[in-house]
Amino acid sequence: MRVRHYLHFVVWFALFALFIWISVPIVVPAMRENRFGPIETNRSIDAYLSALTGIEHGSEKLPDTFRRLGKEGKLVVFVRDENAQSEFLGMMIGYVSWPREVEVIKVPGSSVEKKLADIKPGSVAGVVFCSVDPPAWLQHRVPLGYSMTLVPVTEAAP
Amino acid sequence: MIVIGLFAALFTIVIAGFGVTMSIFARIGRINLIECVCLSWLLGVGVVSLLLWIGGALCSGLLLQAIVTLLCLVLAIFGWRAMRLANAKFEIPKLATITEWILAGIILIEITALIFVSFKHTLGWDGLLNWEIKARYAFLNGGTIPSTYYSNAGRGFSHPEYPLGIPFTELWLYLWMGEPNQFWVKIIFPLFYAAGAPLLALFIARLSGSRWIGLLIAALLPFVPSISASPGGVVVGYVDVPLSIFYLSALGYLLLWLRTNDSRFMIAFAACSALLPWTKSEGIILWFVLVLLGFVLSLIKRRVAPFIISIVPGCALILAWRVYLKIVHLWPHSDFARPSLGLLRDHFSRLGEIFTVLFVELCERGQWSIFWPLAAAALIYLFASRKLERIAVAGAVIIPILLYALTYVFSTWPSYTAHMTSSVPRLLLHVMPAGWLAIGLALSQSKRETQTL
Repeated sequence: MRVRHYLHFVVWFALFALFIWISVPIVVPAMRENRFGPIETNRSIDAYLSALTGIEHGSEKLPDTFRRLGKEGKLVVFVRDENAQSEFLGMMIGYVSWPREVEVIKVPGSSVEKKLADIKPGSVAGVVFCSVDPPAWLQHRVPLGYSMTLVPVTEAAP
Repeated sequence: MIVIGLFAALFTIVIAGFGVTMSIFARIGRINLIECVCLSWLLGVGVVSLLLWIGGALCSGLLLQAIVTLLCLVLAIFGWRAMRLANAKFEIPKLATITEWILAGIILIEITALIFVSFKHTLGWDGLLNWEIKARYAFLNGGTIPSTYYSNAGRGFSHPEYPLGIPFTELWLYLWMGEPNQFWVKIIFPLFYAAGAPLLALFIARLSGSRWIGLLIAALLPFVPSISASPGGVVVGYVDVPLSIFYLSALGYLLLWLRTNDSRFMIAFAACSALLPWTKSEGIILWFVLVLLGFVLSLIKRRVAPFIISIVPGCALILAWRVYLKIVHLWPHSDFARPSLGLLRDHFSRLGEIFTVLFVELCERGQWSIFWPLAAAALIYLFASRKLERIAVAGAVIIPILLYALTYVFSTWPSYTAHMTSSVPRLLLHVMPAGWLAIGLALSQSKRETQTL
């Protein structure tokens, strides 16, 4: 009985040792990643916008840009379907453009023109293309970093 | 000023929770200080977020903040009075051996490390776009979620139907800091870990009679990569870790109540389990599992009536949230079709692949190391023990995993396997601390079943 008791603990401790042996090379490097801070109000959103578009302090600059579109009208955001980065960027635009209404439209890539034609100019203030190429005929594009383009809606209609 | 505001927010959460904890445990005479602090955080989060939600329907801005603060103070005073009237005293568990001291020290170092590491990372995708977004919009709207948030389909990506337990805790910090500070708000998540690890040690110690085993298991907890080093873990601000801690706490107190018939444990179970559906939608499944297990056990122990009473807060909260969603004209969006026998028959062939994907995930060493094989070994021990309480722990680990897996039979995603691989790791995280509880109980073979911690 005593032997069984010791064996029980030996087996479990061996399993725990194996568990730690496997875990440490995964957990420790992950915990050492990155550095502390920066201690900034919009730390997360700015970090993502900077990484995806190259815009620094995007949480302040983008709402400023959208404010110039006027108070009324929603923002239509085109994102590339099944492209996580593009969709994430579209959601970011949704996040920072509050309280303006947004509509996120997923496009496979080639159907942007058709979707664009469906837009009713009266209700839309601007169109944002996230990792999606705007149609060639669109004028007055405002580049937002290196992966986004804003087109105020009066110019967006064909 | 921001840091002072942050401490004030955390302090008010803890004192509100302290008030509730004391009103539960004051009559016990000697109150475990560590248990009290851990439970104060968990229940404080629940109280403050609920007060903000309810209060937000009546007022907003500084008035809302003042009223909630006042109620937190009232709860704290109420708890303190209950403690004085019962002549209760705090007691810090005395560590008996050098092993216990070392293990307790390791746990403390791990908690400190996770708090530090949390500030090195940004909020993750869900942390930012599902949870923090609600806190931010509510902050910008004076403490209440604006109705336009619910009516704008374009922001459906942020799941407006998700419950507000964690977003409103973040909101509370924002209100006190005076700005939606995405850096400091992350303190919430390691604090859940800091509450959960000691509670895990405590439950194992109480249920097994062996304190060092409890401390050992709690010290091993952060070595599971998914909790400390992966998407969904403590450092990215997802609600899965808080949910797992609420689940562990509810399960622990349910077991203690069934063992001791002490009504205080039943009240603690009622409080912790009620907060499961308030933390995440999947919390309803975890709540249901606990209700099922608790009902069976209480039936065997002939304590059905008090058990039924204990599930009332959870039922009320689930119902209240559904009513609220209806009021704001929002019906929960779901990635799942409404279950029906016809659909089950049509999708029955999915089961093979679902369990294959599940098995592959459970064996994923980068996420779990060998945690699940350890848990599987523990479950065999627990079933072999033929003790009701231990079989219940095994059930609390297995049943949610099975239910989670079975939900993918009804997945509406074009690829249900893609749906599964994107969400299953986080769902398994909900059960992970309960899995450690199972391992702790399997490890302890002691005949003693005293409450030593």
